Amino acid sequence: MSLIKQFWALLRVNLAGLPARLGLVCTIIIGVACAVGVLVSMLAMGVGARQEAMGNVSPNRATLTSIDAPSPAQSNITQDAATLIRGLPGIRRNADGKPIVVFQVTVFVQGRGKVDRTQTGFPLIGMTPGLTDYQPELHITAGRMFTPGVHELIASNKCARQYSDFDVGAKRHMRGGDWRVVGNFDLPSTVCLVFADGDTILSAFGRNTYNQANVMLESPATFATLANALKANSSLHLKVQHEAEIFAQDMQQLNGILNFISYFVGSIMALAATIGAANSLYAIVDGRRRELAILRAVGFNSSPIIVSVVLESILLALPGALIGALVAWVLFNGLLASPLGASFHMAVTPSLALLGLGWALCIGAIGGLFPALRAARVPVTAALRAT
Amino acid sequence: MNAIVKYLPLIWSGIWRKPGRTALILLQVAVAFALFGVMQGMKSGVERSVANTRADVLFVGPAESGGAPLPISYLDRIQSIPGMKAVSFADGFLGTYQRPTQFVFVLELPPTDLWLTLVPEIFQVLPKDLEALKNTRNGVLITADIGKKYGWHIGDRIPLTSNTLQSNGSGTWTFQIVGMVTDHEIGEGGFIVGNYNYLNEARALNKDTVRNFYAVISDPKRAAEMSDTVDRVFANSSNETKTASFREGAQQQMRSIGDLNFLIRAVMGTVLVALLFSITTIMMQTIRERTPELAVLKTLGFSDRTVFLMVVGESVLICVAAALLGLALATGVFPYTAKYVPGLSMPLSVVGIGLIGAVLVALITAAPPASRAARLQVVDALAGR
Repeated sequence: MSLIKQFWALLRVNLAGLPARLGLVCTIIIGVACAVGVLVSMLAMGVGARQEAMGNVSPNRATLTSIDAPSPAQSNITQDAATLIRGLPGIRRNADGKPIVVFQVTVFVQGRGKVDRTQTGFPLIGMTPGLTDYQPELHITAGRMFTPGVHELIASNKCARQYSDFDVGAKRHMRGGDWRVVGNFDLPSTVCLVFADGDTILSAFGRNTYNQANVMLESPATFATLANALKANSSLHLKVQHEAEIFAQDMQQLNGILNFISYFVGSIMALAATIGAANSLYAIVDGRRRELAILRAVGFNSSPIIVSVVLESILLALPGALIGALVAWVLFNGLLASPLGASFHMAVTPSLALLGLGWALCIGAIGGLFPALRAARVPVTAALRAT
Repeated sequence: MNAIVKYLPLIWSGIWRKPGRTALILLQVAVAFALFGVMQGMKSGVERSVANTRADVLFVGPAESGGAPLPISYLDRIQSIPGMKAVSFADGFLGTYQRPTQFVFVLELPPTDLWLTLVPEIFQVLPKDLEALKNTRNGVLITADIGKKYGWHIGDRIPLTSNTLQSNGSGTWTFQIVGMVTDHEIGEGGFIVGNYNYLNEARALNKDTVRNFYAVISDPKRAAEMSDTVDRVFANSSNETKTASFREGAQQQMRSIGDLNFLIRAVMGTVLVALLFSITTIMMQTIRERTPELAVLKTLGFSDRTVFLMVVGESVLICVAAALLGLALATGVFPYTAKYVPGLSMPLSVVGIGLIGAVLVALITAAPPASRAARLQVVDALAGR
């Protein structure tokens, strides 16, 4: 009898015997489901955050900051430099023929949470005119755009949900008196966004430089043109980065922490599940000693026995992973999570489910290996004598 | 007591009837409790570090972070508020050393004796180093980390490049290293400490302003009240302030990490479900295999109750031993996670909760197999029915 035939016969025998040991089978499935479910749920935070942050990235957008600034917050762009930046090549022009360049200054101000009334900081972003040219996907859902020169601001719907006094018509007391919220908008982001007129922010907050210049490129290819022009004009002391690069930098820390915690907890749970699976399979194999001994007596080889037990273990682990991923999806997909000051919807994606299946495969294979080796070593005589 | 001593050998041999199986259960429970230990340790570490921050030092900064710096003249006005013990201030700027990617933060202070004790959470300075800083206008103290990173030694002169310009338009600042400070900040960036007067006289912009004030109050219990008082003094001025004690600041930061409790409960709940199910089935299997032996015990006169307690005893012994092993493992892991999550600790209360949890796990998992063992009819069992 060929090894493959032996293997199929063994696998059929193995699987046919499972209904009789439902408890042990369920142990493997539940253990794997719990481990995979927790891993997938926790990773869904990082995936959701990235999806939301990167969902709106355009290759046409780029940001100019000081060469030596570690982040836009430490970057300075003077009014003189602003004039020069408008004349740089590679920048798209709007309907009026003006280059689409929006200067941005960010200050952090205090807000109060809607639910627990605790103070939290949020960024107030001053943008010079042209915001709608630069971000055409900014969609005002209530009210209108702010008017340059007056103390008006617009807040994303995420802010309005998270903090108090961000609905249209609300007044906020900040430097230089009351600011009126005149609009709410939708724009994909993991954090609360509040926009106001750039120059109004500069004068109200006693600043004289912008942090960064956001430009719309003629096409993704003109990025190089712009970068070269900046290199040639070293007195500007500026560097250009793709929008994606800036967002990725922002996400790096959050993602690093989320992934570390997820994989740390996930690995420990997978280890527990592996041990549990091994123990159950030992018990299942022990209960099958007689059959195995008989099969070995009639000439079955040990390698098909090993493969069949490992495969049985994997076959039991995979439905566990599916259940785990499914439960994670039902419970957490689309749920609003707000760790580390960010806020985003968790996303249980097919690729996460695949990752879960991969872990289950490993749990099954490792958990099944040692019981399989034991099954292959069942001594024919001893097993036949055993009860 | 006598009973325990009498039955211990029986329980012991029951546990080691199948050494492989017991070892795996032991490992599985230990791994679960190690996870519990690490997560609880994380939580109690965070809570302890908040409790350790000083409630009597107020941080007075601009009402909007990133807003304009505060005028130095506020110093006297803060000092004159009743209940203030001492007030100092700090400023600073970001420079780069040699390459635009090598950042050095320069903290600029007035070198008064107050700094010997003011913010031990951030840094500690010895009297002789402070004296050296007082005597050298462009002197700086460096941390050991940053000294090692850039190969700096006491006596070196270091040129830094910065966006903060001097009045002559130059962005290059040269400092002389005169001593060391010990810092307690997490991370390997490191910083250097210089004279505020030097910075203030030399810089082109923002003269006579500071980044923030540190105010020590005499009664830590009045921190919230004093914070509000300070902010009220400067309300509606051109530079409004935002004041909070160090402890309040730490609490706010911890809140922003998110609901640690929910995470711990959710994960431990899932672990528990898997664990309970797994151990119960394995123990059921064990009892099924031991049916003839248990029947013999009963024939010899062991009561149903004794058999029940013996099975429960085995489970409790395994679970408690495994929990202790797991918590010990977790404590062993702490030093390695300090890089990601600082200040992990394992207070006795966590060990206590762990042990109680272990006993509960043991009782729940042992109940079905133990009652099966207790209900066993000798005749049926021996007949193999």
